[in-house]
Amino acid sequence: MMKTTILAGAIAALLTGAATSAIAADAKPAALIIAQGGLGDGSWNDTANKGFQAGLKKTGIEGRPIESKDVVAQGEEIMRRAADAGFGLIMSLEWIHGEPMEKLAKDYPDSGWVIMNQTRKGDNVASVVFAEHEGSYLAGALAAQVTTDTSIEGINDKPIIGVIGGVKAPGIDKFIIGYIQGAKAINPDIEVKVAYADSFGDPAKGQQMAKAMFDEGADIVYQVAGGTGIGIIEAAKAEGHYAIGVDTDQDGMAPGHVLTSMIKRVDVAVENLVENYAKGEFPGGEVLSFGLVENGVALSEMKHTKDRIPAAYLEKVASMQASIIKGETKVWDVTASGYPDFFK
Amino acid sequence: MVDMTAHQGGGGSELFSRGFGLAFPFLVAIAVSALMLLLIGENPFDIFTLMANEGFGSQRRISATLSAATPLLFTGVATAVCFRSGVFNVGVEGAFVLGGLAAAFIGFTAPAEWGAMIILPAFLFAMIVGAFWLYVPGVLLARLDVDEVVSTLMLNFVAFGISGYLVNGPLLSESSGNNVTPLVHEAAQLGRLLPPSTLHAGFFLGLFCLAAYAFWTRRTADGFEAELVGLNQRFSRAVGISIPSVIIMVMLLSGIVSGLGGASHALGQLHRFSEGFSPGYGFTGMAVALLGRNNAFGILFGAVLFGALASAGTTVQLFSDIPLDLVNIIEGTVMIFAVVELGRITLFRRRRAT
Repeated sequence: MMKTTILAGAIAALLTGAATSAIAADAKPAALIIAQGGLGDGSWNDTANKGFQAGLKKTGIEGRPIESKDVVAQGEEIMRRAADAGFGLIMSLEWIHGEPMEKLAKDYPDSGWVIMNQTRKGDNVASVVFAEHEGSYLAGALAAQVTTDTSIEGINDKPIIGVIGGVKAPGIDKFIIGYIQGAKAINPDIEVKVAYADSFGDPAKGQQMAKAMFDEGADIVYQVAGGTGIGIIEAAKAEGHYAIGVDTDQDGMAPGHVLTSMIKRVDVAVENLVENYAKGEFPGGEVLSFGLVENGVALSEMKHTKDRIPAAYLEKVASMQASIIKGETKVWDVTASGYPDFFK
Repeated sequence: MVDMTAHQGGGGSELFSRGFGLAFPFLVAIAVSALMLLLIGENPFDIFTLMANEGFGSQRRISATLSAATPLLFTGVATAVCFRSGVFNVGVEGAFVLGGLAAAFIGFTAPAEWGAMIILPAFLFAMIVGAFWLYVPGVLLARLDVDEVVSTLMLNFVAFGISGYLVNGPLLSESSGNNVTPLVHEAAQLGRLLPPSTLHAGFFLGLFCLAAYAFWTRRTADGFEAELVGLNQRFSRAVGISIPSVIIMVMLLSGIVSGLGGASHALGQLHRFSEGFSPGYGFTGMAVALLGRNNAFGILFGAVLFGALASAGTTVQLFSDIPLDLVNIIEGTVMIFAVVELGRITLFRRRRAT
């Protein structure tokens, strides 16, 4: 056994012997830590990396995306290594890195830290949140117009639409309340059915709940339920009605049966942060809300449904969007203002 | 399955061949990936130097490597304990995940006043869950001759389903939009050995399991019987060893160690259970056991090697344009040649014997 150990040691010594560092000390590069699912997910990670690369190209900053199979457990070590190696901007797309990042940021005050979809404390931590209520408002407005237009395939004359949330929590109700508000802005008498799946990972339940809503006269159901939502989209396809996708462009999951998707433009957020960092204006300590003004949320391009929706409806949605951007319309943000009277 | 087992013997030349046996798959992997690097126009020497440096270049990097190796110590032992008896248990992953969930559950539901005492019931519960999880396929194999590869592999998916459901629903942290449980109480978190590194006390527990495994294999009658069953079932039966009880015993032991590993990862590393809790530690553990030829030192070597690949393979991306795929190629090649090598050694021995 001795020889085993010696051999192993010898290999290690051989390999570490002439180690050199490839870091350029003067440039302060940027790192983007890729979340679970990795690059090539066609979704969150890829979108963010697109923005990252665009930002790097525009500013000339050096930077790299970092992938790991073990990104959940190794997050802290990766981020610390990046800071040790002199990275000036460290962004993580992985939700679970928020906790350790808060601590790390204190140890490395010279680096700028960025976390998504949550608010973390620290003078050198920027928290990116998306104004999902604003995007949901537009989704609700579109759905409310479409739901009574029987000339569109799969639509009945009843002014009923639905929304299914993953769990009953302010973070989810933010979407739901924006959606309801948008729908009521079009038709104050519209009925919006609200339900919670109590799970983000139960497509079967999502399908069942969506089917129940369709049976009760709804023809468009907005999914705010992660993996459960896959079942909601399935149900829309099976029943010949419509779902509304969330977070990324889910229109292609059931072409023609996803009316639109409420997209978070993480690419816009990442690119924006790289640019600010390059200008020396890293927004440390701030919570950056990416809404319609910043182009941080948007409805999808509706590749498969655009031809079916009368242009007037889309124009109306566009004018409502303009009104929010101008500040004339305020969309209720439950995470900031608590629950409104119309939704308790 | 018999040739999965390594005979524990003495002799200088055998020691040499075993040491070479450990290094051989790694050397082949280096050669293959060097070729890959040349093909994509990178200098293999620079990249390997960088990787070695990221794996072992400083105290911080060594601790990062050991931190990544910690779960593999458990899953390596949990796998070896079965492979050694010719029981091809591929269900360590599921038991690890459920053990972690069980420990995290105790860790955040037990009253905070218990303080560090929470760790005991958390580990105990994880052991029970892990043991139960592999006891079922153990009994099915021992009593009903249900193929253990099929049953344990399928049970992994059941385990993912159960844990996925719980962490997406009933055990979901209220304060989060993501699929994680609440954090365990601070007192229930295992201490860190070399702060700020994430290397935690679970590493010592892993070493302890490894030592206990070494003792069990070499110094106990049960361990010897289990080895005999792996070497020759008919002979074992003839000398009066109960094959079913040995199968159930090794599956229980495997489950206990898997559960401990999950608990150590939950309480020491993540301080919670989350989606993506294990990136396949149970499966890498099989590679570790195969590479280490079910020998305690071999498992240690294998775990550290794969830990280094995981940690260095990630941070190396900070300094070069090497994609994660290269690390996957190295890992995959090591895994393939860890198995191929066994056959080679057998041939070698036979030729020598004639």
